Amino acid sequence: MVKAVRGVLVECEPAIKSILVLIDSENRNEFIIEDLDETHLFVKETMLHLLKQKLEERLKETYRPEEPLEDSE
Amino acid sequence: MSTAQPSYQLSDYLDKLPGTTFRKLYQQPSTAFAIFRRMLPQLAKVFVQGLLYAPGPMLMSELEIWVRPEGKMQRDRALSVLRSLHVIQITPSGKDRPQELQLTTNFKNSMRLALEGGGTHNSFGVPSSLPVDPRIDIAHLDNYARKKWEDILHYVVNSVPVHGDGAAAGSGGGPKSSVKDLLLVGNLVERRHDTRAGVGITKAGFTFLLQEANAQVWTLLLQWLEAADRAKGKSDNIDMLSFLFMLASLELGRAYDTDALTETRRNMLPALVDFGLIYIPREDTRQYFPTRLATTLTSSASALRSVSSGFSAATANNPGDASSLGTTPDTSAAAKGSVFIETNYRLYAYTSSPLQIAVLALFAQLTLRFPGMVTGRLTRESIRRAIGFGITADQIISYLASHSHEQMARAAAAAGHPVLPPTVVDQIRLWQLENERMRTSAGFLFKDFESLDDYMDLSSYADEVGVLVWRSDKKRMFYANKYEQLRDYLKNRKK
Repeated sequence: MVKAVRGVLVECEPAIKSILVLIDSENRNEFIIEDLDETHLFVKETMLHLLKQKLEERLKETYRPEEPLEDSE
Repeated sequence: MSTAQPSYQLSDYLDKLPGTTFRKLYQQPSTAFAIFRRMLPQLAKVFVQGLLYAPGPMLMSELEIWVRPEGKMQRDRALSVLRSLHVIQITPSGKDRPQELQLTTNFKNSMRLALEGGGTHNSFGVPSSLPVDPRIDIAHLDNYARKKWEDILHYVVNSVPVHGDGAAAGSGGGPKSSVKDLLLVGNLVERRHDTRAGVGITKAGFTFLLQEANAQVWTLLLQWLEAADRAKGKSDNIDMLSFLFMLASLELGRAYDTDALTETRRNMLPALVDFGLIYIPREDTRQYFPTRLATTLTSSASALRSVSSGFSAATANNPGDASSLGTTPDTSAAAKGSVFIETNYRLYAYTSSPLQIAVLALFAQLTLRFPGMVTGRLTRESIRRAIGFGITADQIISYLASHSHEQMARAAAAAGHPVLPPTVVDQIRLWQLENERMRTSAGFLFKDFESLDDYMDLSSYADEVGVLVWRSDKKRMFYANKYEQLRDYLKNRKK
């Protein structure tokens, strides 16, 4: 029988997706309901906020954005 | 890293109403007419017009002749909008009986009355027979409505922790406390202690600010209806909603009779005065005047807004609508636009309106303020902050485009360039991508289909009605952002 599951579709780059999958596996698979394809994940609605936080933390460890061009007076 | 949620829209509200509510709503010709004007896509209007004077139900197969084969998708979308608004009924398909469709009785009767006139429904308002004060002309009403509405916007804007002084020096007073409460309930602002007004703006509030005026009015009105729902129950809100639709059909600059209104509707008047939708002279409360905010509620400018395009309409900053109402203080300047943006991300705005300056401060880093002008620049940090608030890059870009100075437009046209420098537009988008690593949308995943045919059937139907977002034929799964139509489709098919 066909089922309709409620949740949130997440679309992201493959690199980000693999980080999300990693976060999920480190947290007893609390976030992801279904791994859809390279760029799509289906996650629990209630956990989305926490997942975003965890991703942000993870990115802060590794990602240093370049400062924007300075003002050209 | 955030999803911009469009503020609450009329289509969202209507989606939640049950069929019985629609039947009662459609007893009023003005409501049927307003739904027809505002909520239906063009093709759906053609269908309604064709069906309106049909003697009996029409065969689905006949309807198919009206639409070219390549328009099948639009046809299905139009039909699904019509069905969700309970404008048409379609009999379930059976083996022995072909599918038929017809307008629902109340809608048909009311729509006919609206077109032909007649009846004693007083659905389009009762003009006041009393003498009208000559000072109350259209300009007066426009000023009044603009003042009221800006007070509300100011209140929302002022709840931003503003950098630099002056920008928050609003026009005093602010809206009534009932309106403030509504903004709180609607989650457009929240209580905070670090700002001057004691409240802080929320993500939804930012989206609200950048919307065109018409969408803003609806957002607030719907919040108000819901609040009334919780307080009094559903029976009142049907009358309230149809009163709003009636206001939209009234004529700007005319006086209408207060005594001809039902009690529910009379009770609504003080709140509508607070919003600036109607004007009641202080000396004589037997008359009320609809303002432009009210009469454009269902204007044809936004008539194309269907359920499916509701999202884009909600987030789009339609310059046509904004200028027709002129929510910015200096209407003439706003119509012409006042913002310059250069390829080096510098921004100059010829304005002294605290409202516009505050809006610019949402996504730009303003550095200097002169009489009648502010300068600043877009930076990675300022855009990042804006996106953190829930504003999208497209909203910023469309705001800049619709408010750019005419000199910029002229220079761009002469040189054959787009109005906004492409480098800046691209960079704003890139900054958003950098900050928004995941795009999210809430909805439903359909899986565990019994057969490939079942899967193909339902997923292609979802595609046709425009709710399909993602699909995988290999996994036999698909994702849709709404499920009501699919549920109905499954139910009908089983019969």
